[in-house]
Amino acid sequence: MVTKTEETQLNRLEGQVENGGGGAWDYLCFVRKLKVRRSDKVLKYGLSILNDPKKRSSLGPEEWTLYEQVAIAAMDCQCFDVAKDCINVLQKRFPESKRVGRLEGMLLEAKGSWTEAEKAYLSLLEDNPLDQVIHKRRVALAKAQGNMSGAIEFINKYLETFMADSDTWRELAEIYVSLQMYKQAAFCYEELILAQPTVPLYHLAYADVLYTLGGLENLQAAKKYYSSTIELTGGKNTRALFGICLCTSAIAQLTKGRNKEEKDSPDLQSLATAALEKDYKQRASDKVSVLGSALKSLKVSS
Amino acid sequence: MAGGELKYDMSQNAYIKLVLHALKHRSSAVNGVLLVDPTTTSSRLPTLSLFHNHLGLLPPLEISLIMIEEYYIAQGLGIVGYFHANERFDDAELDNVAKNIGDHIYRYFPQAAILLLYTRDASKNWKLAGSDGGSRLILKEPAANIVLLDFISSQKWQDVVDFDDHLDDITKDWLNPDLFK
Repeated sequence: MVTKTEETQLNRLEGQVENGGGGAWDYLCFVRKLKVRRSDKVLKYGLSILNDPKKRSSLGPEEWTLYEQVAIAAMDCQCFDVAKDCINVLQKRFPESKRVGRLEGMLLEAKGSWTEAEKAYLSLLEDNPLDQVIHKRRVALAKAQGNMSGAIEFINKYLETFMADSDTWRELAEIYVSLQMYKQAAFCYEELILAQPTVPLYHLAYADVLYTLGGLENLQAAKKYYSSTIELTGGKNTRALFGICLCTSAIAQLTKGRNKEEKDSPDLQSLATAALEKDYKQRASDKVSVLGSALKSLKVSS
Repeated sequence: MAGGELKYDMSQNAYIKLVLHALKHRSSAVNGVLLVDPTTTSSRLPTLSLFHNHLGLLPPLEISLIMIEEYYIAQGLGIVGYFHANERFDDAELDNVAKNIGDHIYRYFPQAAILLLYTRDASKNWKLAGSDGGSRLILKEPAANIVLLDFISSQKWQDVVDFDDHLDDITKDWLNPDLFK
């Protein structure tokens, strides 16, 4: 996951390189570190370094890492010739390398040769059944072919061995949400919260899924998780604040006509509303009136 | 959508904005809504880009639809359609999320349409998804694709703000007032 500061830093570097201010290598290293997907820029700047013999030799042993990075970026941008060239260079330097074998499998995958790619990955897995990257490529392969149930099956198998891989739990949750399998998505977020209880993103996502599932119990739980998100983010998370308002409104709808004692106090909603209004007034003043009417329509009179 | 020859006119800017939004988020599904003024045949009407993440979650969808409704009700506009672009470029099926949202809108606006961006061929055609498919979508300005190409080459898609962006940073304006300036 990338923080806002890291993203701003990255964008600034990108702008600098784009405008001829140098720093391409730093940019490429940063992209690698953050694991973000900026393939068109990586391809452009990476090639500019690789095609310049002086710049290339100044990289020393890092040259090969760059070849790998550019190969992957080229595949993402559908520049298969460039990818093949990079892979050839790496193959010459590292014959019999599993890492290069992986790139070859990825090239097959990028070209859409699904069966060959699957064969390549399976053979790599035979030699090294614990290669996490290859396992994930198999999931990606299934996803690319639209085989969502296959992807889910692979991920679940993977998680049996690598159950601490939070990125994979997140991926699984997102797939479940896209298939509207909300109960299963909720389970994934529960695992994530158990493993990393101080990451607000998971609380927020869990709350969203609970709200989508609906029903009084889920709405009340959702409200709790929106609250924990607000606590973990110092009240700065707009989505969680809206979530509180939505939950309170939905709960009130469901409990209409019940005993007054069972009703939640309205304090939480008014606090959330006040926080939203203050934030909009400060940073998005042209939207304050829209916000006001939106929040009003959410307030259910008891 | 039953019988009748319902034609859907879309303004150039509306069309371009939808495609730019899809281009900005190439590796995810995106969606948005189309607005209409039922009392006139005006086609200078906006499309609004909604999300590029977790399209299947209810809270952000509800917030965005409420805000859109509140903003446009004063101008007499209503939501007339829903557009969706799938994650995979060769996926021409409307998935369940798109269907559910579409049905919901259809309940309120029986003339509503669901548009699916299908880019199997290079011409980036919109396919009108619905019982009688075909292309009853008419672009008011046939030069729209040329303008679109121009925007693409200048990477204009980076300026498109959708509701996801707004919820992450409320200073970003989901109305995109300066996009075509």
